Amino acid sequence: MTKKSKGGKEDKKAIETKSKSVSGKSQKQKKPVEKEVEKEVKEEEELIQESGTDSDYDGDSLSGSLNSDDFNSDIFESEDDVTQGGTEEEDGGDGESSQDELLVHEGSIDNEDGDDGSEQIDSDNNEEEDGSDEGSDRDEAVEESDSSEDEVAPRNTVGDVPLKWYEDEKHIGYDITGKKITKKERQDKLDSFLASMDDSKNWRKIIDDYNDEEVELTKEESKMVRRLLKGKAPHADFDPYADYVDWFKWTDAIHPLSSAPEPKRRFIPSIWEAKKVVKLVRGIRMGLIKVAKPEEEPEEGPVPYLLWEPASTSDQKNKNLTYIPPPKLKLPGHEESYNPSLEYIPTEEEKASYELMFEEDRPKLIPTRFTSLRSIPAYGNALKESFERCLDLYLCPRIRKKRINIDPESLKPKLPSRKDLRPYPNSCYLEYKGHTGAVTSISTDSSGQWIASGSTDGSVRIWEVETGRCLKVWQFDEAIKFVAWNPLSSLPVLAIAMGRDLFFLNTELGNDEEQEVIKEMFHSGNIPEPEASVAAIVTWLQDELYGGIKIRHFKNISSIDWHRKGDYLSTVMASGETRGVVLHQLSKKKTQRLPFKIRGLPVCTLFHPSLSYIFVATRKDVRVYNLLKTGLATKKLETGMREISSMAIHPGGDNLIVGSKEGKMCWFDMDLSSKPYKTLKNHPKDITNVAVHRSYPLFASCSEDSTAYVFHGKVYNDLNQNPLIVPLEILRGHSIKGGVLDCKFHPRQPWLFTAGADSIIKLYCH
Amino acid sequence: MDVDGEDVSRRLHVKFVTKLDSPFKVPVNSVAIPSNVTRLGLSSIVNSIIQSDNPEWKTEPFDFLIDGELIRMSLEEFLLAKGISAERTLEIEYIRAVTPRKEEEPSLHNDWVSAVNGSSPRFILTGCYDGLGRVWSSAGSCSHILEGHSGAISSVAVVNSKDAETVTVATASKDRTLRLFKFDADESVDSSTRVTAYKILRGHKASVQSVSAQKSGDMVCSSSWDCTINLWNTNQSTSEGESVPVKKRKGNNQADESQSEGEAVTTLVGHTQCVSSVVWPEHDVIYSASWDHSVRRWDVETGKDSLNLFCGKALNTVDVGGEGSALIAAGGSDPILRVWDPRKPGTSAPIFQFSSHSSWISACKWHRSSWYHLLSASYDGKIMLWDLRTAWPLSIIETHNDKVLSADWWKGENVISGGADSNLRISSGIAIS
Repeated sequence: MTKKSKGGKEDKKAIETKSKSVSGKSQKQKKPVEKEVEKEVKEEEELIQESGTDSDYDGDSLSGSLNSDDFNSDIFESEDDVTQGGTEEEDGGDGESSQDELLVHEGSIDNEDGDDGSEQIDSDNNEEEDGSDEGSDRDEAVEESDSSEDEVAPRNTVGDVPLKWYEDEKHIGYDITGKKITKKERQDKLDSFLASMDDSKNWRKIIDDYNDEEVELTKEESKMVRRLLKGKAPHADFDPYADYVDWFKWTDAIHPLSSAPEPKRRFIPSIWEAKKVVKLVRGIRMGLIKVAKPEEEPEEGPVPYLLWEPASTSDQKNKNLTYIPPPKLKLPGHEESYNPSLEYIPTEEEKASYELMFEEDRPKLIPTRFTSLRSIPAYGNALKESFERCLDLYLCPRIRKKRINIDPESLKPKLPSRKDLRPYPNSCYLEYKGHTGAVTSISTDSSGQWIASGSTDGSVRIWEVETGRCLKVWQFDEAIKFVAWNPLSSLPVLAIAMGRDLFFLNTELGNDEEQEVIKEMFHSGNIPEPEASVAAIVTWLQDELYGGIKIRHFKNISSIDWHRKGDYLSTVMASGETRGVVLHQLSKKKTQRLPFKIRGLPVCTLFHPSLSYIFVATRKDVRVYNLLKTGLATKKLETGMREISSMAIHPGGDNLIVGSKEGKMCWFDMDLSSKPYKTLKNHPKDITNVAVHRSYPLFASCSEDSTAYVFHGKVYNDLNQNPLIVPLEILRGHSIKGGVLDCKFHPRQPWLFTAGADSIIKLYCH
Repeated sequence: MDVDGEDVSRRLHVKFVTKLDSPFKVPVNSVAIPSNVTRLGLSSIVNSIIQSDNPEWKTEPFDFLIDGELIRMSLEEFLLAKGISAERTLEIEYIRAVTPRKEEEPSLHNDWVSAVNGSSPRFILTGCYDGLGRVWSSAGSCSHILEGHSGAISSVAVVNSKDAETVTVATASKDRTLRLFKFDADESVDSSTRVTAYKILRGHKASVQSVSAQKSGDMVCSSSWDCTINLWNTNQSTSEGESVPVKKRKGNNQADESQSEGEAVTTLVGHTQCVSSVVWPEHDVIYSASWDHSVRRWDVETGKDSLNLFCGKALNTVDVGGEGSALIAAGGSDPILRVWDPRKPGTSAPIFQFSSHSSWISACKWHRSSWYHLLSASYDGKIMLWDLRTAWPLSIIETHNDKVLSADWWKGENVISGGADSNLRISSGIAIS
């Protein structure tokens, strides 16, 4: 019934929708449908519509119609059926009958409009299936030729108009000749009811309102409708699960699939397109279609640009990667005039000074005065400059060098500011003068009140730190190699190494009781017989000169180190090889060799600040030995340096600093690795000594380049945190010659003592 | 050009006022002076005004104060800096310039002069590195030699000088002892008399750095490298428990039978490093400075420290004085002389910092009567006189050619100093009103 309402619309459109709707019915079943089957469906459907459940179903069919394309054949089929159905009529069946009529009508129109190509094919089909009656009927319909219209003789031609318009008329429309088609007389309800009671086939009858006739569905058609309702394929013979027949020949075909010649229509311009174009052109001419005007193309020619535009800002140039902006030339000034004013003319002295300047620094142009333009000589450098220009062009690289543009500051590790790491020694306020030779070694006493120094002039001096006063002088014959103050405050004894001798001197600084202890120790006289193992190495003697003890070694002493308890002292003889390290016990006046073999030439030794370990530095490595166990080294620290010169240990005992003769300093975190945690390359010359502060997080190195470096070296209790090393200060002040030979921290203040080869000891305070 | 310049330099109307007595007074009239004059210009103006009244007047340097601040730049700049209007008549107070006018003959010692004390107007007491204390009645005349120490004397103090006949002094030495001497200050000075100690105070375990006497003279306190401050009785009697009768120590005091030994009455413990300086300005308050970077105030009664100022530098010297005898001045291992006001609540920052020296400060002393003046001595060989009212030194005394180890005021208008050039030098004629 909805279809009927559409009947009045434009022909073409109606055809489309119709065809779609029909095919939609078939598609709704989701099965490929053969045409005969479809006919059945159609009829059965109509039957159902008639029996009252029609409206919903019809709506569905409409909605489904959108997908289909060309099943015009169905339309004709149904139309045929209608004609077959004879003249049975029913009063209530107006809508249905008219619908079919419409279908027929549309189909005919479609045929009229249809393109030539499809017609031909369709006619072929027609010939093939020209067997059965029904088939022929259908084929005629499928043919969509004009003839189909002729066959159905009395035909309503009102078109797709609401049938309501003809409700009150006596005719239902007009036939093709223009004559009125009169309405047939309808049976009244009672008659029709009786007829339906009588006629068992009555349920198959449908009234076509459009053509005003009664259509009877055949058995096959009603069956098909039933099957469709069940969702099966409309044709009983259809096998939905038939074996797939692969029609394609998979053997390689040399020739194209079809030998048919290229159709003509591929070569001739499309009429429809031409029509469309004509329509558009007409529209444009009449002003119905507005066309955007094409942009006017810029005129060809030189593009203006800013002459004085700064080179860096021009986008055009920057886009071109190879473009290198030329250096900006200085604008010519008065001095470049041929006759500049007098103030531009350099004086004779200035000209002479130009001669002394470097070639590059010399001014390019020396202003000179000429009275007239005529008197200006030829440019003297013209040839030279053009030659150089040629050379530049010839030698200049043609590729752009890519420079990594990184701010060098950003590559530096982020270190805390020096201000936050105060206090540290930075300025020298006190000097200790008195030595006449290079001061080779210094040592502070445990309280920090005194400092002892030894010099190549053979003197050992004790200074008052506070005032710089020399308190005591001991004069020896040999150059002093090493001085070391006993770490015990109650035993103010100084150990002095020179040549092959080691002296213990009484500084006479302690109180009376302490002095008595020391004197007793020094003058008890009975020096026990040395053990056989060390007899060849050392001899203990009584020193007559200053009332101390003298220990004569078999080789020159290079370094000494007190044990923290102040009783033991280790002596290193660099050339002593395996016997190069011995331990002296002051209280018992005994000497013993280390209970293990030293590999390599020892340089210096160091006692662990809290445990019974000893660090022995050979030229390249540092080995850690347990003094309580004999045997192998517990640890070997690989410095990677050519020659170790000095060592210092952090008071915590886990961090060792090693200075080398190539100016490098290594920080070993012994918990971390046997490799250096940090290697600092600061000094251009040999590091002579390194020192670590006892309480402040400071360490220092001094070198033959006459500087001392002070570092912040913070060791954290947290094992996860690595020590923080920050260079703080370069302490200069000693004369260049000879450098700084020793540095020691004040035991309690953040001060550094440096001993220079210029015979001065300096105190750097915070 | 000159005419222009006169136009440019504005004229100020000033009134010179003074608290000085008659010969220094000028008529209280408003004077118009150019605004670009400095202290020297003002001084010459005042001198010429006085001279116009008094023809015998000898030129005298003056210092000028506006609103209690010393002028140390041109008047115009000063007014600009202080935001003082130049429209009204300025009142400029003048005082006699604090600068030594005369240099006395140096008094040569055998060794470095490590300590000087001028608290008694009758004599100067010095301590020397040769272990001898000396008493000088005037420049070059040594009246007494105080002998007995086996080490260098580090500090001297006058214990009791009110007594007309005998004077008691204390010396501290690096031989870990203190000695108390008594002598007659008014003795003839033809040849120096040798005096031996009447009492030896033993107890320190390391060098004694400083000694100071209580005002009453009953006690002295001493500080030492053993981080302690000891308090001692000075009386000769051995009746009290802590004073032990003479032990015949062989070696040092065989000779004098009258020598007694004393032990410390109290020990003030708290400093962690060498206590380098100690002063005892009031009856029961002791101030001390230490190398552990702190200045402490000790309550003698309880033996506890009631104030602890942290400085950041090792301190060598401390003195208390100034306004209400409450300001603490201290110097040490850097060239800055710091002054604290402990009465100022909530802060331990110094209120003044004087930094004209170029090396460690070895001594600082407040003037005994002035609220503003103090001196400082430094290892750079200079003694500087300071006024709290200006940041520049009033005058710099550069008579020593080596480190100055100690300095003090003497008789209110002299500065005495001893240094590493083994001389005691007296700069006299300093006018502090």
